[in-house]
Amino acid sequence: MSTFLYGVALQWKLDMRSKSLLITCYVVPFIFFLLMGGIFISIMPEMESTLIPSMIVMGVSMGSFLGLPSTLIETYASNIKKVYKANGVPLYLGLATMFLSAFTHQMIMCAIMVVLAPIIFDAALPTSLPLFILALAIYIAVSLSIGCILGLAVKNQAKLTMIAQLVFLPSIMLSGIMFPIDLLPDTFELIGEFFPASWGYRLMLNNGFQFDHLWYLLLVLFTAAIVCTLLLNRHKCK
Amino acid sequence: MSNAIQVTGLWKRYGRNPVLKGIDFHIASGETFALLGVNGAGKTTALECIEGLKAYDSGTIMVNGKMGIQLQSSSLPAHIKPMEAVRLFSKWNKAAINRSMLDALGIQEIEKKQYMQLSTGQKRRLHLALALIGNPDIIFLDEPTAGLDVEGKLSLHSLIRQLKAQGKTIVLASHDMAEVETLCDNIAILNDGNITFYGTAAELSDKIGKKYSVQIKTQQNVETVVTDDIGNTLLSLLTTLKEKGTKVLDIKVDQGTLEQHFMEIVRRPVK
Repeated sequence: MSTFLYGVALQWKLDMRSKSLLITCYVVPFIFFLLMGGIFISIMPEMESTLIPSMIVMGVSMGSFLGLPSTLIETYASNIKKVYKANGVPLYLGLATMFLSAFTHQMIMCAIMVVLAPIIFDAALPTSLPLFILALAIYIAVSLSIGCILGLAVKNQAKLTMIAQLVFLPSIMLSGIMFPIDLLPDTFELIGEFFPASWGYRLMLNNGFQFDHLWYLLLVLFTAAIVCTLLLNRHKCK
Repeated sequence: MSNAIQVTGLWKRYGRNPVLKGIDFHIASGETFALLGVNGAGKTTALECIEGLKAYDSGTIMVNGKMGIQLQSSSLPAHIKPMEAVRLFSKWNKAAINRSMLDALGIQEIEKKQYMQLSTGQKRRLHLALALIGNPDIIFLDEPTAGLDVEGKLSLHSLIRQLKAQGKTIVLASHDMAEVETLCDNIAILNDGNITFYGTAAELSDKIGKKYSVQIKTQQNVETVVTDDIGNTLLSLLTTLKEKGTKVLDIKVDQGTLEQHFMEIVRRPVK
């Protein structure tokens, strides 16, 4: 266990040294938070009750789909994987430690947003903080699990940049965080339902922690865990 | 002496293209062995099959001892520091950190740098240190001195000799024939997926036929003659020059190098 914890702590340190994580997990989400938060509140004052979940969906999507996969590719699509394999370091270590490290960074980023939003934008805090934190943890885990699939399945950064956008943009545009989902055409509304962002957003709203909003996220998490196991086995056999 | 590694009938194909065609060789415990071949001959593939990093199609590989592996193309996360990598690998191998080994490789001198800031030589030293962490019995070194300066090469050669003195089996893949000749007990030459030679450097020289290069410098010119029969050739050359009254300024005799013998072997068609 101490060996695994050392791996997690080391990954945390490596992430802190990496500028790309700083940008995708902190800088851009906070710029978006400050800019869009101000715009949303000024044009739609009623958004004060949904501002925190909206900004969190944006920040988590960015860190999970654009940040984590590129860190994974650095290990799994390179000779680092071979060095680990050759020296008795199990292949799942990289995935597990990067997942946990990214999870911690995202929780920190969300905590800062929750603290700042009421101060800067007079946004409403969640009525039940424990349920909100649980919903947030589930949503982050689901988003990161999709990021893990991207990082393990895509073989290079150039392809990843394109493919990640195919997940990131619909997650932002069709999840209801930018504008009410009812305003979208039915097809787009349906497409939006495939992305966990819509479900995570609803789960984090006040009184949103219900099984109707939860089951799809659990299904995605379970499926992603199986897919990641298969992808890891494929990496092991190569 | 028992064998540390025994390879029998090893076949490996990439698609329909056979890279290893049923090769056989063995490496005795405690010996330093080199696998030679031109680029694309299948050296790295053969080593990676033995190391367990690559699946093979058929044949048997017997490895008798714990392996430590330095790969040809190694890498680590860009932001990791050398001692962090050492600690990570030693924890997973449940091995104590050997400070004297790290000192010998100069790892502590570079501990504040991140991996991406290390020079090629420093990276090679770090990967060698990682390969030695679990106190392995068999050490694989794939192109260990590629990209190293003269000082780096000499210090690595000295370390390889120390490891051999400790009874370790060392498996080397290298393009540096002088290095192989100096360090290795046995060599195998891999050519077109087959082992075309197995034995000592001296045996290779015997197999090729001892070729001598005789260079005679006179007042008029410098003449070079390549021969198998050094005695008669020298006698005949000197007699001729004496008869002509030519003054000899210098004579140099070179025996063929391992490099020349290696090239001779790889140019021969594989039977």
